[in-house]
Amino acid sequence: MTSPTLTAPPGAPAASPRRRGIRAGGGMRVAPYVFLAPFMLSFVVFMILPIVVALYTSFFQVKRSGLGFGGDNDSVFVGFDNYVQAFANSAFMDSFGRVLLFGVVQVPIMLALSLLLALLFDSAVVKAKRFFQLAVFLPYAVPSVVAALIWGFLYQPRVSPIVEGLADLGVSVDFLGPGTVLWSIANVAVWSVTGVNMIILFSALQTVPREMYEAARLDGASEFRMAMQIKLPMIYPALMLTTLFSIIGTLQLFNEPMTMRSVTSNISGSYTPNMAIFSATTLGGNINLGSAMAIILGLATFVLSIVVSIMTNRKKGKA
Amino acid sequence: MALSRTRRSLGSAVALTAASALLLAGCSSSAGSDSDAVTLEFWGWAPGLETAVETWNDANPDIQVEFFRMTGDDGAKIPPAIDAGTAPDAVQMSVHSLPGHIINNRLIDIGEYTDGLDESFTGSSWKGVEFGDGVYAIPQDSGPTGLMYRSDIFTQYNLAVPTTWDEYLETARALKAANPEVFIGQFSPNEIGLWTEQVWQNEGTFNTIDGDAWTVEVNNDQSQEVAAIWQTLVDEQLVKVVDMWTPEYWAEVNAGTIASINYAAWFPALLAENAADLSGKWSVAPSPTFAGSDAAGETGGSVDVVPTGTENVEQAVEFLTWLNSSDESLDILIKEGGLFPTALAGLDNPAMLTEQEFFGGQVINEVFIDAAKNVPSSWVDGPNYDITQDALKDEFAKVGTGAQTFAEALDAVQALTVTNLKDSGLSVK
Repeated sequence: MTSPTLTAPPGAPAASPRRRGIRAGGGMRVAPYVFLAPFMLSFVVFMILPIVVALYTSFFQVKRSGLGFGGDNDSVFVGFDNYVQAFANSAFMDSFGRVLLFGVVQVPIMLALSLLLALLFDSAVVKAKRFFQLAVFLPYAVPSVVAALIWGFLYQPRVSPIVEGLADLGVSVDFLGPGTVLWSIANVAVWSVTGVNMIILFSALQTVPREMYEAARLDGASEFRMAMQIKLPMIYPALMLTTLFSIIGTLQLFNEPMTMRSVTSNISGSYTPNMAIFSATTLGGNINLGSAMAIILGLATFVLSIVVSIMTNRKKGKA
Repeated sequence: MALSRTRRSLGSAVALTAASALLLAGCSSSAGSDSDAVTLEFWGWAPGLETAVETWNDANPDIQVEFFRMTGDDGAKIPPAIDAGTAPDAVQMSVHSLPGHIINNRLIDIGEYTDGLDESFTGSSWKGVEFGDGVYAIPQDSGPTGLMYRSDIFTQYNLAVPTTWDEYLETARALKAANPEVFIGQFSPNEIGLWTEQVWQNEGTFNTIDGDAWTVEVNNDQSQEVAAIWQTLVDEQLVKVVDMWTPEYWAEVNAGTIASINYAAWFPALLAENAADLSGKWSVAPSPTFAGSDAAGETGGSVDVVPTGTENVEQAVEFLTWLNSSDESLDILIKEGGLFPTALAGLDNPAMLTEQEFFGGQVINEVFIDAAKNVPSSWVDGPNYDITQDALKDEFAKVGTGAQTFAEALDAVQALTVTNLKDSGLSVK
């Protein structure tokens, strides 16, 4: 396809340096920093500082002995001991495997759904577009804890119309069994976030120059072919962005499983990495170990994001 | 308009601040003249505490207590507040969380003010607040066990109420034979209280203190005996496997598929609330016992502690002692709050003996009071009780799905508890 060369927005890049140049003449450029200050300040206080503190904390341990009664409880530097403990914690390690499995299945399904819906809304096929768009987006407005609570009801035998209805038809399902509960959580996640990803992809579709469709139609391309060969490549960056966000979201999974744990014991206390960290910190009272685990999760997310970025860039080069 | 309104409210705010400053000044000056007067801040959740505190304040102008009612996640605020030095002077908490706080130096050893006080409480509840040579709390309430059962179902199938755990198994089998849809009880992997009460009844525990080291007893003989009973119940499908407190659970209870539950003195109120339609159909009998023993079970209740950083320790202990062991206070807490006390005077309080409509007019506390006096003093909480309890949930879940046995679950939790204690730098024998 020749399309990528046509996409440069006309004029915009040339205009901005010139305007900036005029401003610079005054030498006083305080205003931008004043406007940035609120963000930078809260970014440093609520983002950078906690990371630094967590990193620092993760290299210390509270020194205790015997029964632990009446000690000084001084923090001592222990190097990577907490990290060794975290990696030796099989439940924590298993939780990574679990969310990766979750991500491998849930992210493609959810994104495929979002993409399909975005393409449908962008095409002329769908009537009452606004209504359906809102309907698809609406679940995103439901807080994830509430969503998990409601779905928790729908998954439970005795009280769920779905389970009871299927049972009447002779189908017995256990949505909360040890093998199925992960996918029941995935279903809640898909239900919640498909809409917002659809909106991102749909907006990206709106930026595709309409002339290209016209040209394609003149060349005799079908709607399907246009979707596959024009729309898809054109919104590729948006697709990658949603993929990246979804993968990060998967690793951060917490609200849904934590909430649904109140209706089934088949979700363990260390079901996801974040739940394991919560358990180590809150139940175990071990802030040092919890910090090390959080740093590991952060690094894993970082590495995975980079890997995904590199992979997608390579693909883009080929296309 | 908007501006004037803002200005007016600003003005009134200033006036208010000035007034309260004056008020504060007034307070402090009067306190200054009254040399010993102190003010204590007390956080708790038991119903009726407001009235009790009011009564105390009227009689003790020198030790004024300000009460704050804890709700929701307020308990989670306590550890950071203590660590930051801004904690209240007295706090209600679960007895199981004591050692975890003690090893973090969050609680004051109040032993020097509690001489002879142990005589006023049940042995098991006092044992729960004593660690080593120290006393770290005043016991408040407890959860001795009883067997709540559907008397109508037992009558219908001609079943006698089991008095021993052997009889319990026989009754369970007989009920299953009579009606496979109705179970004698439940196995709820997520409700560990049902497990601890029976281990406690069998004179077991999760931990003990051996000299200068903790021991972990999660899979000891006493627990294994309970495990054997539970394994039989699950293997022969004599109990309903269902997570507790879920809508599904209450639906099962209301549908009459669960014929009994062996649980603590605080459970009847919840049962009555969630199964109101079954009013009159329930009764309470003493918990089935282990062979050769008449011991009753216990889930553990709540206690009142004095956090580190409190300046007026003596006064705080004086108040808490009155709150939990005086007839005056117990009378209020029992009548108004339905408290199940740990103080012997409370157990003898006539207000305990009220008839319960939900239980067909039975005075159910007669059963629970007897139980409270027969709870073994075996139980010792460890510093990582919460971790052990959560691990039991996870491992019992796998028993519920048939993936492992209770014995295997106990071994797993034993290992995890030991590792966790060692990771915290503590000695484990």
